[in-house]
Amino acid sequence: MLEIRDLVKVYPSGTRAVDGISIDIQRGEFVVLIGLSGSGKSSLLRCINRLVEPTSGRIVFDGADVTRASGPELRRIRRKIGMIFQQFNLVRRTSVLSNTLAGRLGYRTTWRTIVGRPSPEDVIAAFENLGRVGIADKAYARADALSGGQQQRVGIARALMQHPDLMLADEPVASLDPATSHSVMKYLEEINKKDGITVICSLHFLSLARRYGTRVIALKGGTVAFDGKPADIDERRFKEIYGEDAVEVEIGPERSTPQPMSATEAALKALTDTTDTLRP
Amino acid sequence: MAEYFSSRGLPVPPELTRNPLLQWRRLLVVGVSLAVVYLGLMVTNLDFSRANPEHAASVIRELFNWDFRILTPQNEFETWWDTAEGQMVVTILLGVIATAFSLVIALPLSFLGARNVMAGNPITAGIYVVVRLIFTIVRSIDVLIVVIISSVLLGIGSAAGVVGLAFHNVGVLGKLYSEAIEGIDPGPLEAITATGANRLQVIWTAVIPQIVNPYISFTIYRLDANVRLAPILGLVGGGGIGILLFQSINLLQYGAAGLIIFMIVITVAAMDFASAQIRKRLL
Repeated sequence: MLEIRDLVKVYPSGTRAVDGISIDIQRGEFVVLIGLSGSGKSSLLRCINRLVEPTSGRIVFDGADVTRASGPELRRIRRKIGMIFQQFNLVRRTSVLSNTLAGRLGYRTTWRTIVGRPSPEDVIAAFENLGRVGIADKAYARADALSGGQQQRVGIARALMQHPDLMLADEPVASLDPATSHSVMKYLEEINKKDGITVICSLHFLSLARRYGTRVIALKGGTVAFDGKPADIDERRFKEIYGEDAVEVEIGPERSTPQPMSATEAALKALTDTTDTLRP
Repeated sequence: MAEYFSSRGLPVPPELTRNPLLQWRRLLVVGVSLAVVYLGLMVTNLDFSRANPEHAASVIRELFNWDFRILTPQNEFETWWDTAEGQMVVTILLGVIATAFSLVIALPLSFLGARNVMAGNPITAGIYVVVRLIFTIVRSIDVLIVVIISSVLLGIGSAAGVVGLAFHNVGVLGKLYSEAIEGIDPGPLEAITATGANRLQVIWTAVIPQIVNPYISFTIYRLDANVRLAPILGLVGGGGIGILLFQSINLLQYGAAGLIIFMIVITVAAMDFASAQIRKRLL
């Protein structure tokens, strides 16, 4: 579903962040990108939805040429690609619900964004998606009142609003503690398995990559250093990717995640809960 | 101390021996400052021998001998608006209207003057440079000069004052607003762009929530400054209580002038306090 050919990204400073990468990703894969900081993971992910403009090369997503697309066509491609970020990137001053509804922007006209109300279907979908990640009761809280793990789950709910075929995750758990990391990764695993959404996720911990990935791609200096099954990364490969001095560290044990709520149940709870909310 | 290093065969750090008071950079700063003060005294030809302390003291005494007749209409042609308090209200409104006008113009322009909104293609980047240049030029022309010019165009009175104040403030508010936009967290912009939103939707959803509070804060700050500036606009034909003040000074009615100055002080202090309180609560 995703075809990357000879992708190169050179920043104005002269850094060759991505240096000739070609990969094919099949529908339903859970691809984990690993590699040192600065190995090109973020740049590669951002080239896929053109948040970063590739210098050369070609990216084809579901038959559409991403690198050639512009204007409305690019936005149509982007709305089928969800993305979550290390710093969550929520609009901190607004409510969790409006942050989630922002995921529908690619389907709405500018005019309706500014003067219109969100459609009832979108509001229901927002509660459904917030319920899936277990935080529908926080719908009216301000985004910055939530903990890091909760904010990342809002990020996932926002991306799910797009009905994406592909989910890009740029170090989604790098700002979270080990237990919360597992909870966020499990939601990504769930949308991958249940909804069949292809996931490309960059991670720092090899243990997480082994636990959640169906395929691991290691980047080194902007090129692919390893591409294969997580189990195939042995001591020698690890040292090739991370350098001779690297030692593998484990991330802590998994913790049970909160049970998802139904949308109506969640909406009721959100409306009756008066602590740190924006609206009744 | 120095033995610690010399006994280990290390070079002794200069910090241990150097006297900081004798460093040439510091001496240079002191020397230049003294020279500037001396040169200033020479060039400006300050001469305190011509001062007249007795006359000054009598004027100051007069300033506190308030003439309360200015608070009521003095003949059948005057209305409440011609009294000192009426003119004070006009002066405050002058500042308010000028702020409102400049707000309406600076608000849309500020987006065109924000680097992070306009970056990305050469045309918008060009607009950014032009808009910021306009802000700088407009800001560099002092309010009093603009009021003099606009009083020639519109005649002496409040209209000239409002236009002059508003013109200058478009430059100031435009710059403050643009910098507020440039200071926002870029993360949400990236995230909203990734959902497939267009530029206007990104501004509406990710930029505006982040700038509402700084905008209100800057607007109140300028409102405060404008109300403070408004009383002196009368000097150059800008209307308001300033006309009254300079009339009474020219007619040597120091009692009236003193009362007007007191009213201005009270108004400005009240504005200052209110603006500080509101701004504190916003941040």
